[in-house]
Amino acid sequence: MNPSSPQPDLATILASSVHDMKNSLGLMGRLLAKHEAVWTGISAEAQSEYSHLLYEVNRMNANLISLLTLYKFGKGLYPFDPQPCQPAEICEEVAMQHRVLLSASKVVLHIDVPDDLVWHFDADLIAGVLGQALTNAINYTTDTVRIAAGVEHDELWLAVEDNGRGYPPQMLVDSRKAVSGVDFSSGSTGLGLYFAEHVAQLHRNRERIGSLRLENGGPLGGGRFVITLP
Amino acid sequence: MATNFASHHCLVVDDFQGMRYLMRDMLRECGAVHVEMASNGKEALQRLLERRYDIVLCDYNLGQGKNGQQLLEEAKLRQLIGPATTWIMITAEKSSDWIMGAVEYQPDSYLLKPITADLLLSRLEKIAVRKQAFADIAQAMSNKQYTRAIALCDERLAYDTVNASELQRLKGSLLLDAGEIDAAQKLYETVLANREIAWARTGLGRICFQQGEYEAARDHFQISREQAPGYLEAYDWLARTQQRLGDAEHAESTLSAALKLSPNSPLRQKSLGELALQRGDLDVADAAFRKSIAVGEHSILKTPEAYLGLAKVCSKSSRSDEALKVLKSVQHQFSDDDVALRAKSAEGMIYTQENQLSKAGAVANELKQMLQERATRPDSTASLEVAELMLATGQRDQAVSLLQDVVRNNHEDNLLIDKVQAVFDSANMKAEGSNLVEACRREAVELMNSGVLLARDGKLPEALAAMRGARDKLPANARVLFNFAFVAVMYLQKLGTDEALIEESRQALREANRVSPGEKRFSQLMDALNKLEQR
Repeated sequence: MNPSSPQPDLATILASSVHDMKNSLGLMGRLLAKHEAVWTGISAEAQSEYSHLLYEVNRMNANLISLLTLYKFGKGLYPFDPQPCQPAEICEEVAMQHRVLLSASKVVLHIDVPDDLVWHFDADLIAGVLGQALTNAINYTTDTVRIAAGVEHDELWLAVEDNGRGYPPQMLVDSRKAVSGVDFSSGSTGLGLYFAEHVAQLHRNRERIGSLRLENGGPLGGGRFVITLP
Repeated sequence: MATNFASHHCLVVDDFQGMRYLMRDMLRECGAVHVEMASNGKEALQRLLERRYDIVLCDYNLGQGKNGQQLLEEAKLRQLIGPATTWIMITAEKSSDWIMGAVEYQPDSYLLKPITADLLLSRLEKIAVRKQAFADIAQAMSNKQYTRAIALCDERLAYDTVNASELQRLKGSLLLDAGEIDAAQKLYETVLANREIAWARTGLGRICFQQGEYEAARDHFQISREQAPGYLEAYDWLARTQQRLGDAEHAESTLSAALKLSPNSPLRQKSLGELALQRGDLDVADAAFRKSIAVGEHSILKTPEAYLGLAKVCSKSSRSDEALKVLKSVQHQFSDDDVALRAKSAEGMIYTQENQLSKAGAVANELKQMLQERATRPDSTASLEVAELMLATGQRDQAVSLLQDVVRNNHEDNLLIDKVQAVFDSANMKAEGSNLVEACRREAVELMNSGVLLARDGKLPEALAAMRGARDKLPANARVLFNFAFVAVMYLQKLGTDEALIEESRQALREANRVSPGEKRFSQLMDALNKLEQR
């Protein structure tokens, strides 16, 4: 490189590489989903590996999208403009994106969201957060997951619940009481949670602010991921 | 609920053959039968010219030439698609380019890749339901029947909770279009009582702006910007307001911030250039005008002002040759009589600055010829610029008649009249110019009132004839046009319906609305004409 040329910005290089990786993962995911039928006649072990493969691809894809979005937040380039949205529509679309993963993992999804509910939020960000939570729930549940929503105390809540063993105690979070203090060194869950918390807090209505909770229990008795939006 | 897409005509626009076939197959899975394809913007425009499509699936990236957003803008502006057409933009990631554009140029929906057939079908069905809900309102809006559109919004608001927010947004902007300021303000305040919403906040700001309360307006726009940084309309209004407050520096930084989010807007880049030029910041102006020209290359939203501005920057930086080249190219890019007048005037001014008086004189003569040959009157900006050159080259009479025409047609527009006076001032005709302006204003007021006074005396045929004469003399004066329609309505009410006169009045009103949008009289008189027609 010519020594006088300007130093490339590492963040920009990373962002454009992430973009490239995302595209290739997207293609992989599409190919995997396309050959869904091939995998139905195989051994239980291979089936479970197939669903695990789908899960990892889904997770990575979501992580890369989070990274790109966080990059845009950081640079002040994200076009944040909440619009009136129907949570029922968003949840339905998130479910469609997870159709193959759900069936490969033999997990049943219930959606329990009132059709006429309308709330102001950024649909793409919330769909991203719910998608990640759903991918996660499908991996940790026993056989059922549920997406639910409602309005309480003049706030919209959206929850992704499962009937697995629940979150380990050190992961339980309530962003209203304390910041989650996501520790990136500890492993896999950091980015998704960090992203979700960031998205929650981006949503404001005057002095009120969105929140994130990870708890156990709820109707299905397993883990419960809740985002609230004022 | 399920829509049958078998009768729908669909168009797929993508530069990759594989993607085109994939989209086509997905549309077929959704039940579509008639699917055509185009591989670039030019081909797509050809198809859109040939027939009305119900559904357009368009990739944002179309290789060379227009991108998907520019194609959508052109299709909308040239009315190749109407409110019934569903336009879905397909893209790899959420980009600010169209999400942040003006509402009227937004697609109905956008889909992030990868797309599946069931996702597409679900979107198409939802959009079909929404279009159905808004169909009659859209129809009334495109007929400029504001009162009717507002009534339809109210009707729907009574039971449709799902679309309530969108209905209120529409109703607010319709109230502003209809000049119902108080009602609009009340609506925005009601919406804001529940939640901070960018369009409502910006609406309040616009009302303050319109009433000259610039500081209050600025505060509203700033709140909107903080709460929803992606709502760019607030930035444009904020910059305009800061400019009115004499704060050009902040206006410039506001526009820069908006451009960081949407660098591909030729209009906003042009506005930044004009602000910077006004502040004497020639480097910024130069870069902004060039960027506007570059991003506008394939866009129907490209503006001649970017070229004219760049020419001015070049000439101020003593790069006359380049300025002249830019002025040639603007005439080449825009086949528009007013643009030709402005480019020629600018060329002539460069010659006068360089003391090449014979060349300047030749240009002035050429302009005189052009003015004689054209059938319509030049717009105000072109008139001012031509007049400036005429004065600089000693063609005083020509200049005075152009400037008189501007004042007569805009006798209440103080900002414009100040500009006219400034042209007189710079030609050392301060007192004389001021007298001329005053005389023209009086003349316009007399013409404006001529028919109305006769009408009050019950002399309706004479009144109509007088207003018609006034309209022919001042064809771009909104007051005169409104009064013409007003007298015509009185005439029609008393003396019976006459379809030709109704159409003539509508035309006058449409012109008045174009010159001076958002006036209460427009929708009132339009309603009165509609009633007369129904008799």
